[in-house]
Amino acid sequence: MSKILQIDLSAKSYMVYENDKLYNEYIGGTGIATKLLYDMHIENNNPYDEKSPIIFSIGSFNGVYPIATKTIAMFKSPLTGNLGESHAGGRLFMSMYDAGLSAIVITGRLDVPSYIAIENENVRFIRATSIWGQSALATERILRGQEKGIGKRSIVRIGPAGESLSPMGNVLVDTGRHFGRLGLGGVMGSKNLKAIVISGSKRRKMDNFPAFNKVYTEIYSKAVHSAAMKKYHDLGTPQNVLPLNKINGLPTRNFSQGFFEGAEYLSGENMSENYLAQQIACANCPVGCIHLGVLRKSFQDRIHYKTFKISYDYEPIYALGTNLSINNPDGLLDLLNIIEKAGWDAIEAGITLAWATEAFEKGLIGTKETKGIILNFGDVETYKKVLLKMRENKEEFFENLNKGSAYCANKYGGKEFAINFGGLGAAGYITGRDAFIGFLMGVRHSHLDSAGYSIDEKVVRGDLEPNEGKEIDMLIEEEEWRFILNSLAVCLFARKIYTEELVIRALAALGITKTPEDLKGISKKIHKLKYEIKIANGFNMDKLGFPEKLYTIQTSRGKMDRATIKRMIKDYRDRIASLLSVN
Amino acid sequence: MRVINREQCIGCYSCMYACSRAYFHVASTKLSAMRIKNYSGVEGTFSIRICVGCPDPDCAKACPTEALTVRKGGGVEFHEEKCINCHQCVDACLLDALQWDPVTKEPLVCSQCGICATFCPNNVIALVEVNDE
Repeated sequence: MSKILQIDLSAKSYMVYENDKLYNEYIGGTGIATKLLYDMHIENNNPYDEKSPIIFSIGSFNGVYPIATKTIAMFKSPLTGNLGESHAGGRLFMSMYDAGLSAIVITGRLDVPSYIAIENENVRFIRATSIWGQSALATERILRGQEKGIGKRSIVRIGPAGESLSPMGNVLVDTGRHFGRLGLGGVMGSKNLKAIVISGSKRRKMDNFPAFNKVYTEIYSKAVHSAAMKKYHDLGTPQNVLPLNKINGLPTRNFSQGFFEGAEYLSGENMSENYLAQQIACANCPVGCIHLGVLRKSFQDRIHYKTFKISYDYEPIYALGTNLSINNPDGLLDLLNIIEKAGWDAIEAGITLAWATEAFEKGLIGTKETKGIILNFGDVETYKKVLLKMRENKEEFFENLNKGSAYCANKYGGKEFAINFGGLGAAGYITGRDAFIGFLMGVRHSHLDSAGYSIDEKVVRGDLEPNEGKEIDMLIEEEEWRFILNSLAVCLFARKIYTEELVIRALAALGITKTPEDLKGISKKIHKLKYEIKIANGFNMDKLGFPEKLYTIQTSRGKMDRATIKRMIKDYRDRIASLLSVN
Repeated sequence: MRVINREQCIGCYSCMYACSRAYFHVASTKLSAMRIKNYSGVEGTFSIRICVGCPDPDCAKACPTEALTVRKGGGVEFHEEKCINCHQCVDACLLDALQWDPVTKEPLVCSQCGICATFCPNNVIALVEVNDE
């Protein structure tokens, strides 16, 4: 299982090759995608250059064990200018597995807007000028009707945001899952690639069935019957709203404070009780963490009603709810619906609207730029108007908003309150220094890299004594372990189930022998390559700092001391430098 | 087999994985003798197509060679040696429950064993007693 499908969109050609060595060395998923990207030397490319690649990859647990549901995407990020990496659930991993493909590498640019259909090792290139401009949701409906597939289909597509080359553009995968954050949507748009439909007809007989079956059943049983995954199924990630609010860690009104007075309305509890239509799952995951909320709206004469089902999670609730001071779940779902159709990343869109609102308050922008629109925190109807104008992408100010908070702050000012790290908007935690250092130094600048917020929470709870060096140790250790989980492409929600011991046993049941030392070696190698890619693409470790505003606010751990943060960043940098110096 | 709580389906396909795994030792949904269908643009709506063990099954009736015969306790039995790979059984199943293996060109017949129900996290399907009389 080491087949790589390489597609050249410019030539409309493709080939399949095998690379067992790559798989032995890097396991799969993030490991092999990193190595493939590294070897392609993207440092001289613009993210939207024809030759900039998009790499999708899966690992040896995908399609085999429960909750190994992720597909890894790697590319050059138009938001940060360096390593772009996003992970999505849904059915994509299953369709790639069914097609017998471990990775898909796409380069080039189509001459006209098109989509590609992959069936096993065959690729068709189909003109799609008629659906260019269609929402990301309509595109899925249309292509599901058009493409019958040769098995369960996965449909990966962009909306108008990606088409307009917005670096906030994401890629939607099946229902309610996304390659988010780092602008893969814009990269697909730059290639005139509206969608990818993939299906396959291969099946894999397990060599050592009893061993495999035993591990499968153990994981399934833990997922369904133990407490390990309960929170993800029950309230889902929004269960974090109230606990974070309680410790002053819930970003409110553009990171002005960690307490939101309307948190109760946006809590997992209230969303479940009053808005949850149902939970759904990624393929081969019995947990079902995808929470679909119901938005019911009247139209025309108020006797007509229309109903939407919109997936919600903690991060969009923070980005479009608390951080914009919106406490009304209907309003939140309404904004999310617009964002989902346009195909933006919800966090990035929220961070940009939050920057715009504060910039308006401070007079850096005015009604001249906004064409008369008055921006206020909490004003759902105005935010809807702004998003629709951003989707139109016709007037200068809204075209600029479509490029994200870092771009806007460069143009209009207000860098100190544009809450992004290296260009990527912050995830929803004001828990303290470890959350922010994780965003700054993590390879994806995301809360998913090292979960620094959870270290902060341990300190707040009194379970961990503050210790600068040890906290950095914990951040790096967590991030490096996650490289292994991401190489197997296991959903990180299952990280309590997929312990090192289980991973080694599950690999052994597939005939792959790895020791804890082997895994550590692989993750160090991945870490080093990722940093080398980042640095070669302009990530400058000498110019690192937080947005100024963050030094002025109360985090869950109190105000941050500038000298301490400087020391910790230097310490982290030194460790990366020493990682890079190893051959 | 019966669908007892269709609306509780989360679309995880654990049932299909279980069926393929148990009978063919494959890690896949491909060789499952049942199917979870999902619908374009109707987020979260699934339809469960599972052999209900008809007392007078259309699939067996449609088979020109008696490769499918009524099985005591529900469902049908498959006699591989008689199968002429004509697909008529699958076409006759109104529920779209009887599946087809495109490689062997033979139907994938449900044994009414209930392993799919064992691996359903949400009590969507169940093995129920039926009266043979």
